[in-house]
Amino acid sequence: MVRAPSWLAAIWFPVVALLASFPTPLAAQPPAAAGGVAQVHEQDRPYYEACAREGLDESQCAGRLIWFKATAGNERFHTYVFQQRVGVLIDWFRVLRSDERGDRFRAWGIINDPACCTPGSANCPAQSADETYGLDWCPGDEELLAYVGRDGYRDPACDFRDAPLKAGDVHGPSDQRHDACDLRFGTSTGALGIRKFPNPRFDREAWLKLNGRAGTWEGYHRPIAAAGGRGEAARSHLQDGAIEPPFLIGTSCGSCHIAFDPLNPPADPAHPAWENIKGLIGNQYTRISEIMVSGMASNTLEWQMFAHARPGTSDTSAIPTDQVNNPGTINALINLARRPTFADESVLKWRKVAACAQGADEAKCWCEPGRDGKCWEKSLQKEAVHHILKGGEDSIGALEAIQRVYFNIGSCSEQCWVNHLADLRQLDPQQRGFGQTPFDIGQCRRDCPNFRAIEDRLVNILDFFMSAEGRATDLREARENLLRARDPLARYTEQDLIVELERDFGSGAVARGREVFANSCARCHSSQPAAAHGEFASLDFHKLDLKTGLREDWLGNDRPTAVSEVGTFRCRALHSNHMAGHVWQEYGSETLRAQPPDPNVREPGDGGRGHYRNISLLNLWAHAPFLHNNALGPELCGNPQNPANDFYAQRPRYVDGSNVKLLPASQQPACFAYDPSVEGRYRLYLESMHALLNPAQRIPKVTLLNQDVTLRVGPRLWDGTDKETLLGFELTIPSEIDGRGVTAGTLGNFQHKAFIVDLVRAKTAPDALERSLRERLGKDTARQVLADLKAVAKDVAGKPNGLVEALKARPYLIKQVYSSCTAEIENEGHRFGEDLSDADKNALIAFLATL
Amino acid sequence: MSKHSSRPRRALLAACAALALSACGLFGDDDDEAPDIAFAKYDAPYAGKPDFAWVEHRHPLSTADLYKITPQSIARLDQEQVDQIYARLTAGPIPDGPFEGDLFFPRGGSGKLRLSEIAGGGLKSLAVNVGGAKLDLIGETLWKGKVFYRDTRLLRNRIEDLATLRKLGLVEESAQTPLQKISVKGKEQWLLFPAKLYCGQSLLDGRRESIIIDYAFTDELPGYRRMPDLLAGRNGFAIRDEIRMVYPGFYLGRAYMDRAFVVNFVLYNEDMIAAGRDAFLKTGQVAQDCWTGTQQRLIASAAGSG
Repeated sequence: MVRAPSWLAAIWFPVVALLASFPTPLAAQPPAAAGGVAQVHEQDRPYYEACAREGLDESQCAGRLIWFKATAGNERFHTYVFQQRVGVLIDWFRVLRSDERGDRFRAWGIINDPACCTPGSANCPAQSADETYGLDWCPGDEELLAYVGRDGYRDPACDFRDAPLKAGDVHGPSDQRHDACDLRFGTSTGALGIRKFPNPRFDREAWLKLNGRAGTWEGYHRPIAAAGGRGEAARSHLQDGAIEPPFLIGTSCGSCHIAFDPLNPPADPAHPAWENIKGLIGNQYTRISEIMVSGMASNTLEWQMFAHARPGTSDTSAIPTDQVNNPGTINALINLARRPTFADESVLKWRKVAACAQGADEAKCWCEPGRDGKCWEKSLQKEAVHHILKGGEDSIGALEAIQRVYFNIGSCSEQCWVNHLADLRQLDPQQRGFGQTPFDIGQCRRDCPNFRAIEDRLVNILDFFMSAEGRATDLREARENLLRARDPLARYTEQDLIVELERDFGSGAVARGREVFANSCARCHSSQPAAAHGEFASLDFHKLDLKTGLREDWLGNDRPTAVSEVGTFRCRALHSNHMAGHVWQEYGSETLRAQPPDPNVREPGDGGRGHYRNISLLNLWAHAPFLHNNALGPELCGNPQNPANDFYAQRPRYVDGSNVKLLPASQQPACFAYDPSVEGRYRLYLESMHALLNPAQRIPKVTLLNQDVTLRVGPRLWDGTDKETLLGFELTIPSEIDGRGVTAGTLGNFQHKAFIVDLVRAKTAPDALERSLRERLGKDTARQVLADLKAVAKDVAGKPNGLVEALKARPYLIKQVYSSCTAEIENEGHRFGEDLSDADKNALIAFLATL
Repeated sequence: MSKHSSRPRRALLAACAALALSACGLFGDDDDEAPDIAFAKYDAPYAGKPDFAWVEHRHPLSTADLYKITPQSIARLDQEQVDQIYARLTAGPIPDGPFEGDLFFPRGGSGKLRLSEIAGGGLKSLAVNVGGAKLDLIGETLWKGKVFYRDTRLLRNRIEDLATLRKLGLVEESAQTPLQKISVKGKEQWLLFPAKLYCGQSLLDGRRESIIIDYAFTDELPGYRRMPDLLAGRNGFAIRDEIRMVYPGFYLGRAYMDRAFVVNFVLYNEDMIAAGRDAFLKTGQVAQDCWTGTQQRLIASAAGSG
């Protein structure tokens, strides 16, 4: 333990003075409404206390509350749309059952809401699970539960107190923001970011008949074996739309972004306190993908396609599917004010205006009816923007990037975007649903009130992003906090950190590491202008920006780099939803789409694909494992008590690189148990850095199919020979072909529609097909593919299930020709630094721990 | 055709009995023209189809437009036009009582399941043999409509001619388990293929709910008999219908097998149509049991926009 040196005070006081000039932080109470007294819902109190603790002003605090709580109406998506329209089942009881509250973090990576409790536990207002339908009791439930099965619930969001309207708002000066009720808060489910709403359609009598009692969903989610025993997946009443559950369950952006504070982690991750929770760095443990398929049997297409993401990642194009298997980490939002922007990008988007010209086309200029000059105009302009998402796809502005998060979580799905998705079962190119069509921001603004409620407050959310809650969380400070837990006056300085690092990595390691970093890494991982000009020697990576109080260097230039140069798993870079004609077209800039493809990538890479932006290395010590898919470093596991929820055990990742088959259990490296403590994060960082800098020692990782999967495409037919045996157009993807493992990506990336269309064309229009194959694949490959397609067509004529054997004999059709991404090894690439000496590698590890 | 190869067709006939219905004369013989209503422009490829939200915003249907639609006239439209009509409807009230029914193949359709038409009929020759499955014939011989039990949210299908099913050995019956019957306009019909009724997601247009007729858990419903009812259930053809109201007493439906669209159908009840016509023409208003969405729906009635 050390005491603060006098020089620290010399630095500290100017910083304090600087912060004092910032907007006034809130007291631990919400702002009062003009002319009235704010109604404070009990569930909001910890949030206002957090705002005060974090030093947030009114706008930032309003944005935080929305980020943590607002579902923007997506409870219909997570209760009806996903299940019925998309065809994927969520077992909310399995995820949220209160009797497994203590296991929830380890199973699902969920962060428990400190304000909630298990019915019957000490001081819990609910005495029995029957009172809460098996979920936690949470503040606000004393009112909400009374509305299960009936209309009339008044959402707590209706009492949301807006921050003052920004000066100069084009739609001001009068406050014309949309009704806050449409933010939709409900109450907590006990899992932060997952919210519940009373279902007015709930039929208690029917529920009791199905489940036996109110407090369990056993009858609702119990597996019902398929008849015939032909390997078909079991069903359950989760697919029975006639059963209305007691709650509609929605998610806020916080469901993925709320995380444990690296500076103040919980003593027990299953039972955190509010002080342990932050809203911007991203939940590094969430298994949101497994949550989304929690009601599906594991031998279904849906389970295999969704449940392939590592903890802390999600495949945001799994629902608006582009058939590219590409889970990515939840973006850590740190020091956003210092994140680079890019000037003069061509951005076609809607912008606020005070009026539209008489007779203007409402698809280009639209004023909200009943409002005074609340209009938007769509135009192409040059603009400075951030590059968001892994490839920079959300590139029309920070506000719009936040806006799109709400579609990722299901908001306005019915009104605005499910009609634009591709239906995997639609095989007719002339019918709706064969492919995606572009989501229309103008239409969504007009037709979805939840869109307007969020859009009118995006500026508050952005303010929250820029707030002190998104500041860097340095290892030095984290260790100091540990010391202060025992001695409130303890200090742990930068020098203390350096001393400890050099004890482990050698004398002078940190200084040497800075040199290595400057010369080897700063080209991509520095935002300082000098780095862009190749002037690395004088860079100070810790320098403070006196204007913001933040570290000046964002430690990443955010520019796109060709994926073949980085060499990492490229599927995410081939993501296509931002392309022209695709669902999120309107959120990509013209500049992005004009980006030339990576010539070294074999898959199609036009439309802005084929690149990764150079990410920030801020607080790298707290954000291992590495890479966009969290694949570099140890595999994380929660080791839950309920083995049915032990997802890592069900899907280990280490393979024999020669045949892409799982290594025997005895050769699988141990997984790294979830540990958000300071030293837990640091140990994970060290192991991940070792893997990063020693690529030759990496054991290849692949997400494999863990069982055969049968796709049923189109309706089934009965051959009349066995009353319970049906034939259909089926395609079984075996978990192994010719002695090689089959990756989950094989399934997720298989372009089955293009394949089937070409299969038909091989019979009906072979010449035209050959021409298009030549264009895409070259003359020789085209000839082979055409011959094989004709052979497959012959093999399967009148024998729908003959397709399985026909394709098994020609696996390259699935794995290569008709695949959107053929990459297999998930932890390859980013070999920069492998040639450094061991001493320099250690130095680099030591230095990066200080950032 | 060999005995074996004829079986899929016969089985399909049986399964489709859960879907469809027959023609009738309520709407007269002058419905041989397509209804004269507005549609948004569209092209053949999927990407050339307009967004339903814009279709409805720019081409709202008046009540007068709706009454131009009949079970016969709608079949004069092509599938995209039928879809554009469906998208401009609301679910309306969950029906109650017996309804006549017809399935129909839009202009340009072949009279076969959609799947057989994919890619110019190519898929049929590759994988799925639905040849000869004339669903209009099925409708005439087997399926006569549906009976809605609104209070219990159940539905059963009316089958007039059991002979075909019996010949196929698809009807399990005994003195202890007699088949349920209903008499409609003096004709005795059997009630088969029970299904659940609820408000749920349209698989075509998410902007508002449809009334769903779901056979997935048919085996749990009163009156279920294993044969032939299982053919429609989750272990069979996994049939799911969705309907929206054109006007009181007349519904437009879409039938799916295992979530793949296979055929359109209509349901109508002459008495309900006659009883509801004047009021609906005047106001354009009707009770709604299902979620109607948030897009402002413009429906011009005789009394003005509603």
